[in-house]
Amino acid sequence: MAPLLELHGISKRFGGLAALADVSFEVRKGQVLGLIGPNGAGKTTLFNCITGVYPPTGGAILFSRDGRAVRTNGFKPEKMIALGIARTFQNIRLFNALTVLDNVRIARHCRTRSNFLRSVLRTPFQQAEERAIVEDAMRWLAFVGLGRHAMADAAGLAYGDQRRLEIARALATEPRLLLLDEPAAGMNPRETRMLVDLVHAIVHTGVTVVLIEHDMKLVMTLCQRLVVLDHGTLIADGSPGEIRDNPRVIEAYLGRGTAHA
Amino acid sequence: MNKGKKALLLVTGLALLVYPVLPFSSDYVLHVMTLAMVYMILAMGLNIVPGFCGLLDLGYVGFYGLGAYAAGLLTIHYGLSFWVIVPLAALNGAIWGTLLGAPTLRLTGDYFAIVTFGFSELVVLFLTNEIWLTRGPLGLPGIQPITLDFSWLHPAWYFEFYEKAPNFYLAAVMVALIYFVMGRMEDSRLGRAWYAIREDPLAAASCGVNILNYKVIAFAISAGIGGVGGCFYARWSMFLSPDMFKFWESFLVLCMVVLGGLGNIKGALVGAAILVCLGEVLREVLTAFGLPPETRFMAYGLIMVLIMRFKPSGFFPAIASSSRSSRLLETLQKRIAADAYSREDDRGAAA
Repeated sequence: MAPLLELHGISKRFGGLAALADVSFEVRKGQVLGLIGPNGAGKTTLFNCITGVYPPTGGAILFSRDGRAVRTNGFKPEKMIALGIARTFQNIRLFNALTVLDNVRIARHCRTRSNFLRSVLRTPFQQAEERAIVEDAMRWLAFVGLGRHAMADAAGLAYGDQRRLEIARALATEPRLLLLDEPAAGMNPRETRMLVDLVHAIVHTGVTVVLIEHDMKLVMTLCQRLVVLDHGTLIADGSPGEIRDNPRVIEAYLGRGTAHA
Repeated sequence: MNKGKKALLLVTGLALLVYPVLPFSSDYVLHVMTLAMVYMILAMGLNIVPGFCGLLDLGYVGFYGLGAYAAGLLTIHYGLSFWVIVPLAALNGAIWGTLLGAPTLRLTGDYFAIVTFGFSELVVLFLTNEIWLTRGPLGLPGIQPITLDFSWLHPAWYFEFYEKAPNFYLAAVMVALIYFVMGRMEDSRLGRAWYAIREDPLAAASCGVNILNYKVIAFAISAGIGGVGGCFYARWSMFLSPDMFKFWESFLVLCMVVLGGLGNIKGALVGAAILVCLGEVLREVLTAFGLPPETRFMAYGLIMVLIMRFKPSGFFPAIASSSRSSRLLETLQKRIAADAYSREDDRGAAA
């Protein structure tokens, strides 16, 4: 079976700076893939290229749709969402002034169709759609454990809850591939445990997950496969066990010479 | 809102509605109230862009002016009925809004504000200098008042809105209609897409909102409502001149929106009522002190400064989010209270 996502020689330059150089790997359906590397390695840049925030300078991104690989270079974020790639952000980006429910309701945008005229006339179609939007949004809120907080302001949620709300919002777009950018950052041990369970539950629903994470314990327990970036290049790709013993990875994290010490 | 407040609001509303037919009603008060309603239409229309979408628009009066002159010219040269002109004016405004918005809405923040400002100045310059069409600074007199023509049903059923009262009621109906449309947009997929853009454009795009498209839609609808406001104003005042559509007017409408609370529809109504009444009061007070009436704009500026200092979110701070009082959400709230969604609430907590 064709992989869900294929990256072929992705590079991204910002002026003279090469943020990504010739990065190639593939993501298979049902996997939890960890993307790790030191700060500034280009992990978030890679997410931004995949989700269409900016186009890669070179290479090809192929995303499978109905069994066929579609080249998605240069697609806009709204197009990528429609194709089925959703994401969360490293620094939480919620719609702060809106309620928890509305945050997730907005995510249904890409799967609904009511326009200006239908909204003003409140046609039966629009009303049925509005009811379905609330039901879907509540289903995902219950899924991440925020059902009770639906009417609260998003900005008022506890930090860990805000992270989970962002995940619920991403899930409500019905993605096939979910990109999580440092989902455990700033979480306490209990919240991190809940996150692990949540990611397992997400994978169980058939969504493939790629996550950027610095918490190595979390990465080792969650991921079946790891990809390591350093200075914009891919330096290792393998199972957590292989990565742990890879001298180049240890060097990237701890500095030259340590691997042989 | 409690019962007493609701009753008070209802009584006040009814009193205002029957005022024109009372024997002691004054034409002046009616005129001011109608003017306030014209500004309510404008404030509600403008509110979409900075309030719902978070874009500063300093040139709203441009669309108001285009609508007014379009209505005036169509009336004078073609004798078109008001009821035909209203949809045309809305369409005209929306087209200009799209033409201006589509190329420029990629700009963000201050840059976009400057474009809108430039547009409204362009409109004023056009109206002043294209004398063959608009008679320039001489203005456009002799616009026919609004008529209601049912003479094809019965020869006596022909009304001309010369009096103040019919115009007042027509304006009230227009305000009510636009308020209704606003309320429905506020609580819809369209409204939510706008709030998403206002709150965080990148996150909005990541939810599948086509940012440019939805900004252009907001701008076009806003401009269309401005056109409708201008259309009514032209047929009501029966005279137009370019200096009615100077930058000050844009600023005044923006003041109304900010005073009421950015993004709040009721706030736009209250802001318009307050500032129009204040303008009338100031005109009297300032001339009594020997100052020219134009100094009232200084007062508006002062008010803006004071609001920003003491009440930055306006009189109605509850910003537009999808209405929290809709029936759909009320039933939802009951179900949440009944723990219908907390089954999985403790996911992982036990682990």
